[in-house]
Amino acid sequence: MTQETEAPLPDINPLRKQVQAKIKRLELLSSTGLWILALFTALSMGAFRNFDFLPPLSDGIRAALGVGPPVKYINWALVVYGFSAIILILTQMASDNKPRGALAHFGYLGAFYLFYHFSEGLRENFWAIFAVGLTILGLQSYHVWNYYHEKIHEQNEILHELDKLLD
Amino acid sequence: MFDNLIARAIVPVTIAVTGFVIFGCILLYTFVKQDMTSEAIGYLSNCADTVIKSTSVAMMEDDRNSIQNIVSNIGTRSNVEYIRIYDQEGTVQFSGENEPEGQSKTVDDHINEFLQTDTFTKDTALHDIDHAHGHITVSLPILNEPTCMTSACHFHSESEDALGFFTIAISSDSLEESLAMLRYRMMVFSVMVLFLTIGGVTALLRMNLFLPILRLTYNAEQAAQGVAESGLPKSDHKLGKLNKDFRQLVKQRDEAVQQIKAMESPDKNVDDGPR
Repeated sequence: MTQETEAPLPDINPLRKQVQAKIKRLELLSSTGLWILALFTALSMGAFRNFDFLPPLSDGIRAALGVGPPVKYINWALVVYGFSAIILILTQMASDNKPRGALAHFGYLGAFYLFYHFSEGLRENFWAIFAVGLTILGLQSYHVWNYYHEKIHEQNEILHELDKLLD
Repeated sequence: MFDNLIARAIVPVTIAVTGFVIFGCILLYTFVKQDMTSEAIGYLSNCADTVIKSTSVAMMEDDRNSIQNIVSNIGTRSNVEYIRIYDQEGTVQFSGENEPEGQSKTVDDHINEFLQTDTFTKDTALHDIDHAHGHITVSLPILNEPTCMTSACHFHSESEDALGFFTIAISSDSLEESLAMLRYRMMVFSVMVLFLTIGGVTALLRMNLFLPILRLTYNAEQAAQGVAESGLPKSDHKLGKLNKDFRQLVKQRDEAVQQIKAMESPDKNVDDGPR
């Protein structure tokens, strides 16, 4: 008669640590939207002052850049951009895709500030860019926060199961 | 808060709709402001031109008293803040009475710019609007017209484009009031859109999705506690097949329980029977 010995369970502590590390990484990622929103607010504060803290561009660089586009064209571009960006983010949310493009939106909004600045229309149109920027980046932050919190929830469930195994 | 299903559905819609409406309102306000400002400047330019035309005869006849009277009378109007006629060297020749401090710099800038200009046409005009202090200023050159240069009484050389400059500044209070009213209405409109979006989306989602889900959840709890399919509250058809399938499952469970009971009872009879 052979005596059956119970096989020892593999050590699950490394796996637990992996899951915990992943949760920390996801927590960091979940706040990226807010960081970009804060960056945009800082940029907007500079734009509100018409970038007067920056040294003026030399005549050579100004000549190389050429004349800024007419303000009414930038306005239309801003309307098209704002509408498309909101639709794009809502589509990402609806299909539960990984949030992407927050930095790109920050770049586009910064470019709009610069275009208005060089076309001398920033003072009149500052609040329009600020409102559309807050909307786009606010939606994006919400999507980022929501998406990564779902992932954190999943990982917490895995961690809970692992803890049960340990007990 | 954001873990709530209703909040998750409403927050993105509210941010998107309200944000875009506010952005649209701000942009629309900028457009309307530009249009109204250029309209006001055009109107003032026409008024300035009318004043120049009305003084032309007096100017040709060098009737300084009449010119001063015209300028002074216009200056007594409550919304006229500044009215002056300059000669070709930029020296004030005639002046109205209401002259606030803030206006002189704008007017001096205009006159200095005119003095550095070589050629003047009908379109040569300078204007400035100060929304913060509520002034609109328009400066025009007084052109050397053929009737003037050929006049025997008061001769000017044909090569002189401008005989002097005229400047007028009026209060832009009515324009600022209209713009303030527009801002206020747009704010009210945005707040209304915000409430309608939140209210509308909440009502629609609650009626078509959340209440049916809550009913289904209640039915599932009842079924888990052993209530038969026939004993479950009637449910609506808003969740479509999901509701039907759930009731079908509960019905199948009830039938299976009955079959097990039926199978158990003959065995019991057999066990209890022959003693």
